[in-house]
Amino acid sequence: MAKQDIPGRRPTTQPVPAEAAKTYAWPSSPTLIGTSIMRLDGPDKVTGRAKYTFDIARPGMIYGKLIRSPHAHARIVSINLAPARQAPGVKAVFEWKSAGSEVMYQGDVVAAIAAETESQVNDAARLVRVEYEILPHLVNETQGLKPDAPLVFQDGNTSSSSLQETGDLDAGFKAAAHIVEAEYSTHVITHVCLESHGAVCEWDGDNLTAWVSTQGVHATRQQIARNLKIPETNVRVICDHMGGGFGSKVAADAPIVAAARLAKEAGRPVKLMLDRKEEHLDAGNRPSAFARVRAGVSVDGMLTAFEATTWGTGGAGQAANFPLPYIYQFPNRRREHTNVYINAGLQRPMRAPGHPQGCFVTEVLMDELADRANMDPLELRLKNLPPTAPDAMWREYYQMGAERFGWDRRHPTGDPTPGPIKTGMGISANTWGGGGRAGNAHIDILSDGSVTVKCGTQDLGTGTRTIVPLIAAETLGLPLAAITAEIGDSALPFAGVSGGSTATAGVGPAVRIAAGLARDALFARVAPTLGVDPEALVTNNSRIQSKDTPSTGMSWKDACKLLGAEPISVDGQWEPGLSSVNTSGVQFAEVTVDIDTGIVKVKRILAIQDCGLVLDKLTTESQVYGGVIGSLNFALFENRLLDQRTGQMVNPNMESYLLGSMADIPEIDVVVVDQPERGIIGVGEPPTVPTASAIANAVRNATGATIRSLPLHPDRVLAALQQTKTGGATV
Amino acid sequence: MAPKHEDKSNVSRRDFFKTVGVTSVATSILTSPKTQAQEGQAEVLGPGTVPIRLTINGQVRDFQIEPRVTLLDTIRNYAGLTGNKRVCDRGACGACTMIVDGRTVYSCSTLAIDVQGKTIRTVDGLASGDTLHPVQQAFCESDAMMCGFCTPGFVVATVAMLEKYPSATPEQMQRELNGNVCRCGTFNRIYEAATKARRGQAFQGTVDNLAAAVKSEVTRG
Repeated sequence: MAKQDIPGRRPTTQPVPAEAAKTYAWPSSPTLIGTSIMRLDGPDKVTGRAKYTFDIARPGMIYGKLIRSPHAHARIVSINLAPARQAPGVKAVFEWKSAGSEVMYQGDVVAAIAAETESQVNDAARLVRVEYEILPHLVNETQGLKPDAPLVFQDGNTSSSSLQETGDLDAGFKAAAHIVEAEYSTHVITHVCLESHGAVCEWDGDNLTAWVSTQGVHATRQQIARNLKIPETNVRVICDHMGGGFGSKVAADAPIVAAARLAKEAGRPVKLMLDRKEEHLDAGNRPSAFARVRAGVSVDGMLTAFEATTWGTGGAGQAANFPLPYIYQFPNRRREHTNVYINAGLQRPMRAPGHPQGCFVTEVLMDELADRANMDPLELRLKNLPPTAPDAMWREYYQMGAERFGWDRRHPTGDPTPGPIKTGMGISANTWGGGGRAGNAHIDILSDGSVTVKCGTQDLGTGTRTIVPLIAAETLGLPLAAITAEIGDSALPFAGVSGGSTATAGVGPAVRIAAGLARDALFARVAPTLGVDPEALVTNNSRIQSKDTPSTGMSWKDACKLLGAEPISVDGQWEPGLSSVNTSGVQFAEVTVDIDTGIVKVKRILAIQDCGLVLDKLTTESQVYGGVIGSLNFALFENRLLDQRTGQMVNPNMESYLLGSMADIPEIDVVVVDQPERGIIGVGEPPTVPTASAIANAVRNATGATIRSLPLHPDRVLAALQQTKTGGATV
Repeated sequence: MAPKHEDKSNVSRRDFFKTVGVTSVATSILTSPKTQAQEGQAEVLGPGTVPIRLTINGQVRDFQIEPRVTLLDTIRNYAGLTGNKRVCDRGACGACTMIVDGRTVYSCSTLAIDVQGKTIRTVDGLASGDTLHPVQQAFCESDAMMCGFCTPGFVVATVAMLEKYPSATPEQMQRELNGNVCRCGTFNRIYEAATKARRGQAFQGTVDNLAAAVKSEVTRG
């Protein structure tokens, strides 16, 4: 079978490595790279000294707030700001939308206000009088798809994307010995960044400094400038630490722009951070996914055909597509997708956009096909994976994992153990493109021996603040403590958004090349004194010495003294050759299900994940733990609930929008597979793709209940058990 | 005050509808001795500002604030100690966890006026100079954090747990740390750090030489 494209991945053809990338290839026996390095900002984070946007306090700073629509769909008849303007402490207020325009979801921004204290701005916001004419709204996908639904969105309540078709579907189904026809779905969840979206904005004449909780200081600068119609050079965006983004903090959204405008109007610095309710309503979410699938497998366990009609919602006007089928090779397939618009907050990229959804549909289907074909689900997968390649290692990882996890102890569907507690196992695979495309770094080596790396990236908690100096230290042969790294500021050299698992693969090569160029520049300055060729020099343990006669050399400090008044100051730029694209990984889950209560407990997870070259083992593993737990939350706890009658979210908080805590977390066995020869790829997203599907398959394996949708809340598990018992389908 | 949970409570936070914090803010105004008049008539404080005196991390601080301001907002906005975070603002996530008279509280759901005369400890006061508290050191060594926004609350909760149960059992650790939420997913490593701190295994050093304590564990797949 010919190798198929795997949806959701980057093209596998790699550009030829450029010159600098060849010269500064990753070291074959590194001293720091690949070891476990404690994150450098750990002490700041554990002491509370780390300053997040939420913690910034500026002289004379006042507090901003957005006034939002309580209605899912309405026309603004009038806005009266006068009572609010006269309230105690109010310094600025303006309309965001004007009378006559429509609000398209609960939480759509209507006005903005700023006052001296948080209490005053909350009081004054309640005095803004908005008169609405309520309009018909759509709350769920079923309503949106109805041909007789009210036309809520001007260009239609739905939009179709192009048909995807490969092979001969009829022949595929003819070749099938077993066919599964079923409908699968996943739900909407929100990002729940612990630090909410927002900014502190301060003007100095025409120049704006904005402290923003953002995944991209440079991108945010550009968007703020465009929005305010001011030159980009007048804007500086700073983000030293940020409390979670997960894809939702890549744009200069309303709170940021409003903070800048309020600050201008008030002539005072303004802090505007969303509250928890706003965060749920209008700070992004993962779109839903629905798939009506028909799929066939041959008598010998080869997939033959896949046909799907799919739909989903990204809220009030955003697409909701996802890769399908996921990873496994169906030679004949056809898929038609429709985006459904409803009156709810807009989706934003959320950790591996689309993949958890496509993975769930495909992986649960795979287990059903395996049962029909009377095969072990692992065996069915091994037979139908794409050919093994460095970026397609699922077969090897599944086999490695089966042994490590004890897959041979798995029983067929339905735990025969008496009593209410049933145990089961499930598996699932993931892939992600990742990789880098751009990034810049600057290095200064001064005559006192100090080294500073400057790079306009930002650290979301993945460890970028540690990775940047780590690569410089490795390249210069210095201890990590000898490097100062500056990141999180748009005044620093350009780097891209930390999204798509591309940050490290973007800036890592730039830092490597900058440090290599700086090192060679230093060699050139030192060589005459040592009486050797610059090419003969190496760095080793804070020393510059001849490769062949190590006794010919001098300490780093002494070498730098030779720089005098002309320090070394060089730039490095991302080039192909030091990073790569496309990862593979698999996960195994074991769960218990109490069939009397419907409560699912995850006992243990095994995650095997590659991500190219591992830079810091400690923070790489942390990202895998985090991905697994995020996906566990998706499977068992989180759910954005909209009231069918009002279109309002009924759980915009953290006590009824559920997230797991310590007692819900299983033992997680993380295996990071290092592929140093591939260069950096990135690991932020792939581990969060498959856990939910592996858990769902484990619940099915434990109980025999047909599980076709998430979340696996106890009531839904009980309903699935009941329906299975009475011979019906499905949750 | 909003106690995080009673000793005997074995209820998982997700199973327990968390109105505790919210309702106790409302009721504490009625029951606080500060707001009860001597002869049964309610003394009205506010809505304007009133003087409040708090003992924060061993220092006595005076504030002129509205009685409705929470302990968390007082410490963040008026005392300038921004270590503890406001996340859910309803006593559900634990990012604001402080220790008041030896017990953990959700400071977002505790009024500052109610904790006058009590000993308040925040994450900002745990280290002495550059020497980290053993729990803080253990968090660094185990990488028990990612974005770090929940970390102050978890550090305080872990300190309080180990002060209460110096040889905490796994069950006690799980229960005592169950009132905090981490969105990045660092629970396993927080548990590991808490275990390390309990055993006294955390590296004893300063912030500066933490980096020097890096272990080399090259593992090639």
